[in-house]
Amino acid sequence: MDPKNISLEMRDYIWEMGAETLNWCMQCGLCTNLCPWRLVPGETSESFNIRHMQRLGQMGMEGFEDEKSLFACTTCGTCQVNCPRGVKIIDNVRAMRASIVGAGMAPGSLRPILGSAHANGNPWSGPREKRTEWQSGLDVPQFGPDREYFLFVCCHSCYDPRSTKIAKSIVRLLTAAQVSFGVIGVEESCCGESMRKIGDEELFQKLAESNIGLFNGRGVTKIITTSPHCTWSFKNEYPAMGGEWEVFHYTEILDRAVQQGKLSFSRETGKRVAFHDPCYLGRHGGLYEPPRNLLKSLPGCHAVELNRTREMSLCCAGGGGRIWGEVPMGERFGELRIEDACARGAEILATACPYCVNMLTDACTSLGRQDALEIAELSEVLSRTLS
Amino acid sequence: MSSSLEGNRSILVVGGGMSGLSAALEAAEAGFQVYLVEREPYLGGRVARMNRYFPKLCPPSCGLEINFRRIRNNPLIRTFTLAQVEKIIGEAGNFDVTIRMMPRYVNERCTGCGACEAAAVTKVPDPFNYGLSSVMAAHLPHEFAFPMRYVLAPEILGTEEAEKIKASCPYGAIELDMQPRLFDLKVGAVIWATGWQPYAAEKINYYGFGKHRNVITNVLMERLASPGGPTGGRILRPFDGKGVHHIAFVQCAGSRDENHLPYCSGICCLASLKQATYLLEQEPEARATIFYIDIRALGKYEDFYVKVQSDERVRLVKGKVGEITEDPESGVVTLQVEDQGSGRILKEPFDLVVLATGMVPSTAVDAIPSDPRVALDAMGFVLSEGGIPGIYGAGCVTAPMDVASCVQEATAAALRAIQATRRG
Repeated sequence: MDPKNISLEMRDYIWEMGAETLNWCMQCGLCTNLCPWRLVPGETSESFNIRHMQRLGQMGMEGFEDEKSLFACTTCGTCQVNCPRGVKIIDNVRAMRASIVGAGMAPGSLRPILGSAHANGNPWSGPREKRTEWQSGLDVPQFGPDREYFLFVCCHSCYDPRSTKIAKSIVRLLTAAQVSFGVIGVEESCCGESMRKIGDEELFQKLAESNIGLFNGRGVTKIITTSPHCTWSFKNEYPAMGGEWEVFHYTEILDRAVQQGKLSFSRETGKRVAFHDPCYLGRHGGLYEPPRNLLKSLPGCHAVELNRTREMSLCCAGGGGRIWGEVPMGERFGELRIEDACARGAEILATACPYCVNMLTDACTSLGRQDALEIAELSEVLSRTLS
Repeated sequence: MSSSLEGNRSILVVGGGMSGLSAALEAAEAGFQVYLVEREPYLGGRVARMNRYFPKLCPPSCGLEINFRRIRNNPLIRTFTLAQVEKIIGEAGNFDVTIRMMPRYVNERCTGCGACEAAAVTKVPDPFNYGLSSVMAAHLPHEFAFPMRYVLAPEILGTEEAEKIKASCPYGAIELDMQPRLFDLKVGAVIWATGWQPYAAEKINYYGFGKHRNVITNVLMERLASPGGPTGGRILRPFDGKGVHHIAFVQCAGSRDENHLPYCSGICCLASLKQATYLLEQEPEARATIFYIDIRALGKYEDFYVKVQSDERVRLVKGKVGEITEDPESGVVTLQVEDQGSGRILKEPFDLVVLATGMVPSTAVDAIPSDPRVALDAMGFVLSEGGIPGIYGAGCVTAPMDVASCVQEATAAALRAIQATRRG
């Protein structure tokens, strides 16, 4: 066996970038074996071993920077919530990526994404001034002192044509529920959650500072988000930088409105609906009930539970920057989800995250199941049944 | 201090398992009046439900039998089964204890003839077998139960069946209107020996206990292997009653884990090594694989570990098991684990998987009802220091330990209790 080079500088650098719990790891390997990559075949599955990657990080040993491994983690959190030592595995991944990305060596496929977020404030190569185009045809109120909540729409739902439907449905539902809300518009920037997970710490800081200045300047105290990634970042990353607001995922607001009798759904759904727990809503955010309560409140809706659900939910593979990854057919987590939903007789697979919608739609199409199973964001299922 | 000289010299022992039995006997045989209180309808605790002890692989029944005989022959010990301590007030040398006795519906006239059982038709889950089998609503808690007296399941009260059972008893031992009863005891010291409970394995959701039928825990394995158990001692798959050819043991199932039990129970490695021999003795062609983080066989137990390890049918793999899945058709359970020796990720099928779950002190679940409270550590174990003078923990309420250590600890607790009754 060739001798391995140990770099103490690298080890210290990783630690400084946030891998503070890296040395708590006792190398039991539970993480590797709960990892969703174990459920699919292929090259990434064979090369990516999170325990081994952290071992290399602990020692500052070369090898972890291999793109296939380093950028494979979807930050789904299954390993982290179950780690016997409470190691913050996602922080370790983020810090190891930062040691590479911070040195200007981001993988080629991610460079345009980071570049767009730098230049346009969104990773989708959309011009800043077109951030509000999704609102055309809708009367979306502006946020101001008379508004209780600021509605922050995820970049994905501002620019991706499929995803804009999510933003529109959420606006319709909030309006129907008589929630006092408004948007700010083109000055908003990406929350930066995925940018930070990719390892671009500097970019994240820039985006977060810009948002914090903007939101605080406009007197924001309460935020409704459309994506659980934004919810998580605002709640868990922004406070340390001066962004302290009450943050809610839209499903929480709607669930409360239904319980208070302010929102009801009248049209029959008549479909079997399975709910896919987004990692950032469930495992990271602890919100399992609001989306299920909302489904239950739909007349004639038959809710179906998937095989892997709630705390054990299977990731769509869109987190941690993986939404921009290329994965061959047959190796996509989403395909397992589609198969499971179909096997349970679901007609709609609903979720509550734009990334999940994106990933699951791709998987459904690649399996040719789009006629049997509809992939929908929960807000779309709900808004259809408004009278 | 004068009151302590006149203090009560009797001792209350709470818990009739190996620790409580030992403490009660040590104190009584030194000449002290002992009250032994047990929640179950029989004495013997967890040990009574074991198949064999490590490392000698002898059944616990002979040791228990000797202890029961010592109790029978000692007029200084009074035992109360189906009884729990409700309240402890006072101080060393002068405790006032309230005991609640639950109705057994069978009085001391019972001879153990079994006529009531023959008259019963309703079956209830057998708690002695952790619900793996069922028993008649009128039953003996187990084959060698002490006291040898039947007990009635409260489920059938008020039914015609209950009346038939009552009528069937030639000795007038069935009392259907028996009520819970409270009474007080004056004692000088208390030994708390309520033992342990197996960690609730269903909380480790990735192992699927409670969902996958061929995933069991180590305490269930003791019953499966026991001649008095649900299968008469044959280790069979709960899924379909078929034989077991390849068994897996998952060590540290919930132990040494910040999300479950952060400590090592110190006995599970030895229990799994022992249980591997149960199967190999029955099925010489069978194989056993033990997945572990570290094998912890301390002191003299090293020899037992080496002995089992040297059996070529036993394979030890270093690696913490990840997800366990069960094929709904065949019942085959597949374990996923990274072999730390080779770095390879294994996905292996087994007939039966035993989760080596750890010990939760009973005091973490049911606190000692004293005022002020007895000091516990963060995990619920009774602390030896900083407690209430006159109340002492013994056995697994103080730390996870094996049977031999429990006996030693119980002897030490008996001495401390004796001292407390003298010194106050």
